[in-house]
Amino acid sequence: MQVWNKLFAKSPFKPLIKHSEVVLNTVETLEKALRAWERGDCEEMKRLAVEVDRLEDVADRIKEEIRDSLSSKLMMAVAREDVLIYLHMQDKVADAAEDTAKWLLIKRPGTVPDEVKSLIIQMGVESIKAAKLVHEAIVQMDRVIESGFAEKEIEEEYRIIHEIESVESKIDGLDTELMRKVLAMDGELSWGDGFCILNIARTLSNISDKAKDAAERIRLMMNK
Amino acid sequence: MDPWLLITIILGFAMAWAIGANDAANSMSTAVGARAITPKQAVVIAGILEFTGAYFFGKSVTETIRKGILDPTRITDPTVLVYGSIAALLAATIWLIIATKFGLPVSTTHSIIGGIVGYGMVYAGTAIVNWGKMGQVVLSWILSPIIGAIMAYFIFKALTKSIFERKNPVRSARLWSPFWIGLAFVVIGTMFYIKVLHGKNLGTGVVLYGIPAGIAVFFITYALIKLRFPISDPLIGVESIFRRVQVVTSGYVALAHGANDVANAIGPVAAVYAVASMGIAGMKVPVPRWILALGGLGIAVGVATYGYRVMETVGKRITELTNTRGFTIDFSAATVVLIASWLGLPISTTHVVVGAVIGIGLARGVKAINKDIVRDIIISWFVTVPVAGLISAVIFKALMLAG
Repeated sequence: MQVWNKLFAKSPFKPLIKHSEVVLNTVETLEKALRAWERGDCEEMKRLAVEVDRLEDVADRIKEEIRDSLSSKLMMAVAREDVLIYLHMQDKVADAAEDTAKWLLIKRPGTVPDEVKSLIIQMGVESIKAAKLVHEAIVQMDRVIESGFAEKEIEEEYRIIHEIESVESKIDGLDTELMRKVLAMDGELSWGDGFCILNIARTLSNISDKAKDAAERIRLMMNK
Repeated sequence: MDPWLLITIILGFAMAWAIGANDAANSMSTAVGARAITPKQAVVIAGILEFTGAYFFGKSVTETIRKGILDPTRITDPTVLVYGSIAALLAATIWLIIATKFGLPVSTTHSIIGGIVGYGMVYAGTAIVNWGKMGQVVLSWILSPIIGAIMAYFIFKALTKSIFERKNPVRSARLWSPFWIGLAFVVIGTMFYIKVLHGKNLGTGVVLYGIPAGIAVFFITYALIKLRFPISDPLIGVESIFRRVQVVTSGYVALAHGANDVANAIGPVAAVYAVASMGIAGMKVPVPRWILALGGLGIAVGVATYGYRVMETVGKRITELTNTRGFTIDFSAATVVLIASWLGLPISTTHVVVGAVIGIGLARGVKAINKDIVRDIIISWFVTVPVAGLISAVIFKALMLAG
C-alpha cells in the first residue's frame, strides 16, 4: 500500500456537485409536470411526476454514497458536520419536489381557474431558479476552497446566497397571494381542488425553503 | 577485492534500489499526482537529479550515521564493523519489505539507524550508543514533519495572499512563481558552495552563490512562463502556470531526496570500505566519490525499475491535488530536507512530505486528507528503530558466530 494512495481521500465536493445536478434535474422535471398539469395533459403530467419520483431516488442514492465516504477520520477544508447538513438540505430540495409530484399524482385535477394555474407555474419557475442557484453555490464553494478562501471568491459566493434568499422570499410572496386567492374562491373551487392546490403551493415553497437552508450552511462553511 | 566489501557493495546497491523504488517514487508523486509530469518524465527527472543530489550533495549525512550514533573508538575489531554494516543493511532492507506489506509509511533513514544501533548494542552493550546524539536524531524525526507542516502552511498562505487574493491572479502567478523557483535556487546555490566547493562560510555561500543563482533563475523562469491560451478562468490560469513550475520543483525534490537518502545505502558501504582499504575502523575517512555514485545509480535504477510502477498507480489515483498545492508540498519538503541534510540530520523525506501535505490541510487547502496517516507515522517512529535493531542484532550475532 502506497503512502500517497492512503493519504489523499476523495473530496466530497465532486459528488456534492453531482448530487446538486440531480436535484436540479428533479426540480426541472417537476416544473415540466406542472406545465402539463396547466395544459390539462394528464398523461404527460403523470409520466413526468413518476420521473420526479425516480430522480429523487437517484439523489437519495448519491446522498447515501457521500455519507458513507465521509468518515470522521478525514481532515477537510470544511467541517464534516457542515458538509453532512448541507447535503441533507440539498437532498430535501428534491424531497420537496417529490412531495409536489405526489400531490399531482394523487388527485385528478378538476377545473382550476387560470389565474391560480399561472401562479403555480410562476412558483415552479422560481423553484427551478432556486435549485439552479444551489447548484451554482456548491460549484462556487469548490472554487472558494481552490482559491484558498480568497476574498473575491467568497464575495461571489455571498452574492449567490443572497440571490437564493431573494428567490425564497419571492416564492413566499407568491405562496401568500395564492392562498389568499384560493380561499377567496369559495364557490368556484371544490373543497378537494382547493386543498390539493394549497398543498401543491406549500410543497413548492418548501423547495426554496430548503434551498435557503442549504445556502445557510454554505455560509457557515466559509466561516474561518 | 575483499569479498566482504563486495557483499556490502551489493547490499548497499540493493538498499539504494529500495530507496529509489519506494522513497523516491513517494517524493516525486506530488508532481505525478497533480498531472504536472508523466510517470515517464518523473523517471528521467528522478534518475538524473537523484544521482546528482547523491553524488554532489550527499556527504555529510553519511558521516553522521556512521560516526554519530555509535562510538567508533569502542569498535577495535575491524571485522565487527564489516559484519555490523552488513547486518544493518540487511536488517533495514528486511524491515522495509515488512513495513511496506503492512502499509506503514516507513522511513529508510530510521531503518538503517535502527540497524546500526542493533548491531552496536549486541557487540558492546548500550554504552556504545551515543545516546545524546541518538536523542537529537530522534527529535529531528519528530520535528521534521512538523517543520514541513509549518513551512507548507505558511507558504500556502503566502501563495493565497500573493496570487489568489490579487485582482489579476494570473499576472501575479507569472510574477510570483519565478520568485519561488528563484528561492529554491538560492538554497541549491548555497548547497553547491558548501557541498561541492567545500565552502565554510554560510554567508558567503548565500551572497556569492545562492542569491546570484536565484536571481538568474528568476529572470530565466519569468521569460519562460508564457501563457498562450486566452484565460477565461483565473483559477485555471494560475494552476496551469504552476503546472509548469512543478516540473522544476519536482526536480528540486529529487535532488534533495538524493542528497539526503543516499547516505542510508552507502553509509555502511563506506564504513566497510574504510576497513578494507586501511584495515582500521573508526578513523575519519572521506567517503569516496565512487561509492556516492554507486548509491546514486542504485536509486536511479530503483526509480526506473519499480518506482515507475508506483508512480503510475499514484498518477491514476490522486486527482484531488492541484498544482499550487503540489508546488507547496514540493517546495517546503525539498527545502526542509536539503537544510536537514546540510545540518547532517538523517531525517525521513517521506515524513517531511506527508507533514507538508498536513500543513496545507491545516491551511484549508486540501479537500480531504486521511488522518490515519498521522497515526501511521507515529507508529512507524516507535516501531522502526527497535524492530530494525532487533533484526540487525540477530543477523550480526549469527555472522559473528559463523565467522
